Amino acid sequence: MSRPMRWTAAALVVAGAACSDIATPIRIDFYEWRLIVPKASGSGEDSLTFHWPHSRIPVRIWVEDAADLPGNMPKAIAAWRAAFLYHEFDATVVSDSGTADVIVRASSAPGTQFARVRLHSALAPECAGATDLDISDDHTQLRLPVRIFINPSADPNSPGLPECLALTTTHELGHALGIWRHSVTPTDLMFVDPVVTAPSDRDLATAEMLYHVPANVEAVGR
Amino acid sequence: MRKPILLLALLLPAGVSGLGAQTEYYARLGAVGASNLLRDVIVNQITVRQSIAPMLALGASLPIGAQGYRAGIEGTLVSGKFHSSETGTETDLGTIRTGSVMVDLEGPLYRDFRWRAGLGVLQYWPKDKEGIFGTGGTARFLAGAGLDYRRPVLPAWDLMTSLRYDWHRFTTGELERRGFSQTQGVSRVSLSVGLSRSTRR
Repeated sequence: MSRPMRWTAAALVVAGAACSDIATPIRIDFYEWRLIVPKASGSGEDSLTFHWPHSRIPVRIWVEDAADLPGNMPKAIAAWRAAFLYHEFDATVVSDSGTADVIVRASSAPGTQFARVRLHSALAPECAGATDLDISDDHTQLRLPVRIFINPSADPNSPGLPECLALTTTHELGHALGIWRHSVTPTDLMFVDPVVTAPSDRDLATAEMLYHVPANVEAVGR
Repeated sequence: MRKPILLLALLLPAGVSGLGAQTEYYARLGAVGASNLLRDVIVNQITVRQSIAPMLALGASLPIGAQGYRAGIEGTLVSGKFHSSETGTETDLGTIRTGSVMVDLEGPLYRDFRWRAGLGVLQYWPKDKEGIFGTGGTARFLAGAGLDYRRPVLPAWDLMTSLRYDWHRFTTGELERRGFSQTQGVSRVSLSVGLSRSTRR
């Protein structure tokens, strides 16, 4: 090989290395997050996907001053925010429930006057949780606010209560951010009766993925 | 890499005996633009890029040989926003600061123009530890080259205009933790104007 050829080949190798892109990971380890409901009209089923749009971020969350909610909710927000590389989701605790997108109360879920869909979860003896979603009849709108209920059902001195309240708060926030199904894997925080204290890699991957799939349910009101 | 930079940084301001009068200092202000920091695909393609940002450059050089060559050190500071783009929607990802130190060689090119080429280190300092900088900043090796144009404006000072290009490969600890492999080639171009202490006496 002549000298100019060697230099040209070397330059091409350097240029090729300089221009190559980072290799993205293969994201396949996530679970079904869509809410499957009977079709609004006719037979069959609707698969509902919801995520908060950029225009509503940060999501405004009001929490009742009970059941460690003021302490647990910021930690829950931080736990889910860690799922995202590109600021897809963020939330903040607000003091006015009248303008909040999500209202979190420390009580058992009442009758279903606020909810067309209720996601029951965290059925541990120490505490329970539920998230109510007011979805329009045609399955295209989520009427705000989303209502979360964290119910400290056990003795207040129960040793497992603080952990149960913390993980249930994070679990219900997972529903509020758009994971409208439960994982079938017990090691995921979004399992129906979670035992882990933080979102698993699969939970985080699911949250990340759902924010890049077009939503077919839109948040309205507030 | 860091030892020669440190040595040069200590020697230049001190003015090595006999060279003090020939040491050239300069400061410039300008703007820098960069290519994509990252290309990702989650359903759609996502790109992350730094916005055009203000830059401060400080440097010094010493003569080597009699052919007009000089060896120098140049540091830059840049502070600006960075954002992601996905299907035409841009999202502000916060503020990122970068600092670079480069050891370089410069020489005459044509009339008042001089060339410059060097190697160094670039440090990213994110304002917030989140997103692609979830585990903090990152330091990358840097290679660069450029053109300087000097025009006397005062007895001891030249107006200095500089065009710079530099290149590094980018990744962060957070990206590696999430399974990104290899690195992204990032090119930066800057244009800046400032004053240089002239060595014409």
